[in-house]
Amino acid sequence: MKIFIYPTNSLILSDLVARFGHEPLAIMQEISKKIKTGGLDSPPLNITPEDPKFGLKYAAVEVPSGVRGRMSLFDPLLTQAGAAIIVRDPVISFGCMGCARTNELVNFLIRAKKIPMLELDYPVSEEDAREFVFRISEFLKSLKPAEEKE
Amino acid sequence: MNSTENLVRIAQLSCGAEYSGIQKEIDSAAKQVNAVIVYPEVDIKEIENIEEEFGLKVASADLKLMMSRAKSIVTGKVHVDAVFVATCFRCAEAAIVRSEVRRYIHEKTGIPVISYSFTERTTAGTLLTRMEALTTTARRKSLLARETQSGLTAGIDSGSTTTKAVVMKDNKIIGKGWVPTIKVLESADEAYNAALKEAGVKREDIQALGTTGYGRFLIGEHFKADLIQEEITVNSKGAVYLADKQKGPATVLDIGGMDNKAISVMDGIPGMFTMGGICAGASGRFLEMTAKRLGVEITELGALALKGSHKKVVMNSYCIVFGIQSLVNSLSAGSKPEDVAAAACHSVAEQLFEQQLQEIDVKEPVIMCGGTSLIEGLPRAVEELLKVKVIVPENAQLIGAVGAALLASGFIRG
Amino acid sequence: MTDTVTKMAVINSTKVLPSDVIIKLYESNADVTIKETCFGVIVSGERKAVDELLSTARKMDPYGIFIKERGFAPGDVIRCRATRRGGARPGFHTLETEDKILPHIAQALKALDKGEVPEKKKQKKKLDIEKFKQIIEEAEVSE
Repeated sequence: MKIFIYPTNSLILSDLVARFGHEPLAIMQEISKKIKTGGLDSPPLNITPEDPKFGLKYAAVEVPSGVRGRMSLFDPLLTQAGAAIIVRDPVISFGCMGCARTNELVNFLIRAKKIPMLELDYPVSEEDAREFVFRISEFLKSLKPAEEKE
Repeated sequence: MNSTENLVRIAQLSCGAEYSGIQKEIDSAAKQVNAVIVYPEVDIKEIENIEEEFGLKVASADLKLMMSRAKSIVTGKVHVDAVFVATCFRCAEAAIVRSEVRRYIHEKTGIPVISYSFTERTTAGTLLTRMEALTTTARRKSLLARETQSGLTAGIDSGSTTTKAVVMKDNKIIGKGWVPTIKVLESADEAYNAALKEAGVKREDIQALGTTGYGRFLIGEHFKADLIQEEITVNSKGAVYLADKQKGPATVLDIGGMDNKAISVMDGIPGMFTMGGICAGASGRFLEMTAKRLGVEITELGALALKGSHKKVVMNSYCIVFGIQSLVNSLSAGSKPEDVAAAACHSVAEQLFEQQLQEIDVKEPVIMCGGTSLIEGLPRAVEELLKVKVIVPENAQLIGAVGAALLASGFIRG
Repeated sequence: MTDTVTKMAVINSTKVLPSDVIIKLYESNADVTIKETCFGVIVSGERKAVDELLSTARKMDPYGIFIKERGFAPGDVIRCRATRRGGARPGFHTLETEDKILPHIAQALKALDKGEVPEKKKQKKKLDIEKFKQIIEEAEVSE
């Protein structure tokens, strides 16, 4: 199953989801698609002024352009998500996850989807980490496995 | 703008630029003024501690990164010539960080810094004048240190509404020209010829020429100017020269035909500045329309406004369309023309105060210049709002042309 | 269009070094681009080949090699620090922070493979108001 992860650029979440047989929906995939799009020349991420306009799907024009531009990246992830793992107080992450307002909106939208969801606290000790990994593993086991890729 | 000039390193401290799709515009504006954008190095420990150190707690990580990068500049960990601070328009959290970071760098280092809030519609063109002013202050310190005009030089200021020209000799204005801008080149010719005629000199006698204003590139190329310079640096120089306030701090306000400039100046060199340009309701154009509606010449509007009181007229919009409508309504409801004139001046001053003066440190003396400063009601309204005395120097409308003529004298050879 | 992908393997291991992993990757002769970095390796190429290669490499230390996808190909001039003039790309700092906790995650994965079930932690509750009052009163008395 396609699993939305939050933070969406997390190495740990991405790794664990794939390790336990599911497909992580990570923002890096969207960045990759953007920068491979031919005919666009808007470095560094190939996000053009069209993206914040697309972001109007999620937020009105009085919401800053940076939020709407980021929402355009998040859109495919939100659309595809079959389940979600949310870390409540993640470590600081920058770039795509660097804007608190976007993160609030993304968090809201994923909750509003009413899909299976696991919410966790970021581990600070080995004991925490054990529970963190165990709960993720149990949650993912309870979902249908990812479809085999051709 | 000369591509053979030194490459200037501009540090970009921003949040949201890449995601608004305008990073390319920033890079492009920088490239046009022969500058490169750099990103100050920070390490994760510094980012983790920055909120405590800086004393500002924020939710967005990219704003923490901004503060850390500012610290890298202030502590001298990285060397940059100028700083560009930018965040998304309408983001309150970012606006607080942007303003404090800009102040922090300005106060701790003296490195030229500008701040900007962008939308996805921001273009390289919009950023160019700002980048040009930024790089000029970084690059031409010795030229900008010039306090007197020498030799026989001229300056032309090709503005959006009027074109001004002066001829100066041995630190005195000896010829002036002031005409409406119709066709950029023809109007410049007309203003320049008027100034030359009054001065009693020929074009070929002029030892150096400087151009500024919207049409600076076009006329600069046409007249083979020695100096083509944006209006932020030129007007700062012109203002402190005309007001005889060359040393120490000053604030220069210029309400133009199309946009407004508020510049915080130190020793005649711009530090922080803002350029407004989104709303015509805050420009000279608004006053021009008011004068027309009142059936008076623009030159008479100021004196009329001094006789009236803005408090007697209800204006519930700053917009050039709705604001004028309010004025028309109050006229038909029996308001006196002098009160309407005062209300119009107050409205423009209030917008300048709310939208631009919050972004810079207003330090006395406050010098108002540009053609609109001659509309007496306007400096009066600014005085009332700022609670400080506003200086309108003689020849305030010629500020750009004077600044250009003065700076151009640095180009006289031999 | 072939599905090309770039993945990074972050190595936080007591058993293997990035250079060991690199040798292993090169041995495969797969048609991929491999780059050693300060945190591990980046592999770029056709998705199937990259996944297979990295899953083989991970066997060297399943608890010390962590994998995620990356938007930019290795050495992309837009994002590479060498050409970007100055600080690291934003994602680097995120990676740096996550890297610190990887040893704990490794221990947790080991425990999971052994079938250990961690004890459920007690949720911290807000202090009972009566208890808090008592503490304040005691503090006042001792002053």
